[in-house]
Amino acid sequence: MKRREALLSLGAAVAAAPAVSADTARAEVVRNYPQDMALDRAFQPPSVRVGGPLTVLTDDSERRTIGAIFDRLIPADEFGPSATEAGCIEFLDAQLAGPFGQGAALYREGPRAPDEDKMVQKAQFIATPRERYATGLKALDAWATNKHGAPFADLEAARQDEILAGMENGDIELAPEVNTKAFFELMLQNVREGYFSDPIYGGNKNMAGWKMIGFPGARYDYRLYADRTGQKLDLEPVNLIPKD
Amino acid sequence: MPRWMKITSFIVFVAAIGAGGWSWKKLNTARSDVADDKVVLADITSPDPEAVKRGEYVMRTADCAACHTADKGVFAGAYRISTPFGDLLSSNITPDRESGIGKMTARDFFNAVRQGQGSKGLLYPAMPFTAYAKLTDQDMQDLWAYMATVKPVANKVDENAGMPFPFNVRLVMAGWDVLFFDNSGFSAENHLSALESRGKYLVDAGGHCSACHSPRNSLGAEIDSAYLQGGRLGDWYAPDLTSSPHAGLGARSAAEITEYLKTGEAGPVATGPMAEAIEHSLQYMTDEDLQAIATYLKSLPAATDEKPPMIAATTPAMQRGALRYEVNCAACHGVAGEGMGGMTAAFAGNHTLQSDDATNLIHVMLVGGRAASTHAKITGAGMPSFAWKMDDRQIAETLDYIRNSWGNSAAPVEAAEVGRLRESLRAQSPLPQH
Repeated sequence: MKRREALLSLGAAVAAAPAVSADTARAEVVRNYPQDMALDRAFQPPSVRVGGPLTVLTDDSERRTIGAIFDRLIPADEFGPSATEAGCIEFLDAQLAGPFGQGAALYREGPRAPDEDKMVQKAQFIATPRERYATGLKALDAWATNKHGAPFADLEAARQDEILAGMENGDIELAPEVNTKAFFELMLQNVREGYFSDPIYGGNKNMAGWKMIGFPGARYDYRLYADRTGQKLDLEPVNLIPKD
Repeated sequence: MPRWMKITSFIVFVAAIGAGGWSWKKLNTARSDVADDKVVLADITSPDPEAVKRGEYVMRTADCAACHTADKGVFAGAYRISTPFGDLLSSNITPDRESGIGKMTARDFFNAVRQGQGSKGLLYPAMPFTAYAKLTDQDMQDLWAYMATVKPVANKVDENAGMPFPFNVRLVMAGWDVLFFDNSGFSAENHLSALESRGKYLVDAGGHCSACHSPRNSLGAEIDSAYLQGGRLGDWYAPDLTSSPHAGLGARSAAEITEYLKTGEAGPVATGPMAEAIEHSLQYMTDEDLQAIATYLKSLPAATDEKPPMIAATTPAMQRGALRYEVNCAACHGVAGEGMGGMTAAFAGNHTLQSDDATNLIHVMLVGGRAASTHAKITGAGMPSFAWKMDDRQIAETLDYIRNSWGNSAAPVEAAEVGRLRESLRAQSPLPQH
């Protein structure tokens, strides 16, 4: 009989029994620290399912277009795989499906003043990032078909680069309802995030992004290496939930 | 324990009750005759302050508050104790007349604490009366004086309502007492010095150390032949306290043991049930008494001098363990397993983590833990849970690395054992790996 097991369990004892607080009329005396050290599920990163169906980017032509854009922004080369090979589409899909896609952290109530972009020195949107992707990608394909006779993904790489450069420097306006420059910036930001964030979020597959730039990953402590300045350390990158 | 074993146990109990004359000695309460049988606790208004002071110390050494204080008030009981036979609630031991022990006389109190015979019938051995039986008459008188100063709290407790038949029949415990209860008081042993003898008294009587540190048989009684050689209690393991050189106290000095008992840290760090024992009880003891305990423990012959072979550092599993250690553990436990003095456990040369039974290590890996927070070392550092981050194999490999590096050596940890504890501790599953 392990009769003392629960009786002596520290967690239960200290959490439930502040041994010094007799006076119930006063506020409860908190002794020591919270005993429960399990990670609160609310603080855990949402894990992206790998290989499952996409939930937001379900339209084939939309997905082809964003894939083509991402792979021009980060193409495959001798340093590493392309953005789509590294899982940036899965990353973006998961982000658009969650609070980021809903613009949960953004103020999106009216009124919309005409000069507010200038006032806050940053483009302002009532639309969510998810809506901006849907509108922007459609507008891009319409613009490409109109101007070059084919959707963006079917154009030559040099042509694609030219269009992206035009979007970036403000020479191209896809449609009146699309802030083209801001849409380009949104895509560039997201593809970088996908390529370099922890693989748990869907991108940076096999830590390709980290290996490319020599980032050692989610290590806790670098004191072992702190005095080895100027040396090549060749640290194997470590992700948050590794297979090994 | 399977049901047939419980039923068999019950038959054994009943058969034992039948052993009439034999039981007389075990259940005889003549030792309580030294105590007064007239004045009830609630009527004691001005106990001797010196006795009260000594009695409070006895209360600390016996750690009464650990079980008799829950959220109903100090010593008001209702602390839940889960046993394989059912749930028990601790009793209200404040001087309240109706719901506490206010109507008890000193003799009733002696009978309950030392003989396991309470006002409602025989006590279950969740109350360590088997150890308290060794408390001296003087300590009992002082404890009684102290109890008179406790504030009465009205809190009615139905102690054994959570026990199913037949275990809710207190008389069943008569059989248990006959089989396992030693009704003789503490007796000094000739081969022990005065200091060791005082240590043995504190360890065996109030301290009831063997309640956890001795293994138990299938009827929940301590196995005397394995006294203080380590015991498993549910999701914790109370390690070997004998002088076993490898995983026991053989390589520890009495000074180190004293430091550990007083502060909760001396290389090894107390957590779980031992942290509780230190916080509530041991840290209040005098240095002399803690030295007495340490000296006595050092006098116990080694349970074993075996040392498991060290797992070679070159195996792929150990190399994975090494990287995982550097990435997850080294920041607090040190790249050379040196720990962070006074806060986090040192691993190099830490005997407590080299037992064959790795339950404690698996336990804190899965649900985390808190270091003891004592007056001397108040930090109470937290060990985070890794259940969300590592699967069973990864936890086992990490522990193999810790248990087999820096001169340590210990048996391999089985991933299946990690899985069993993950389930019984209701620790979460790891997130998908990438």
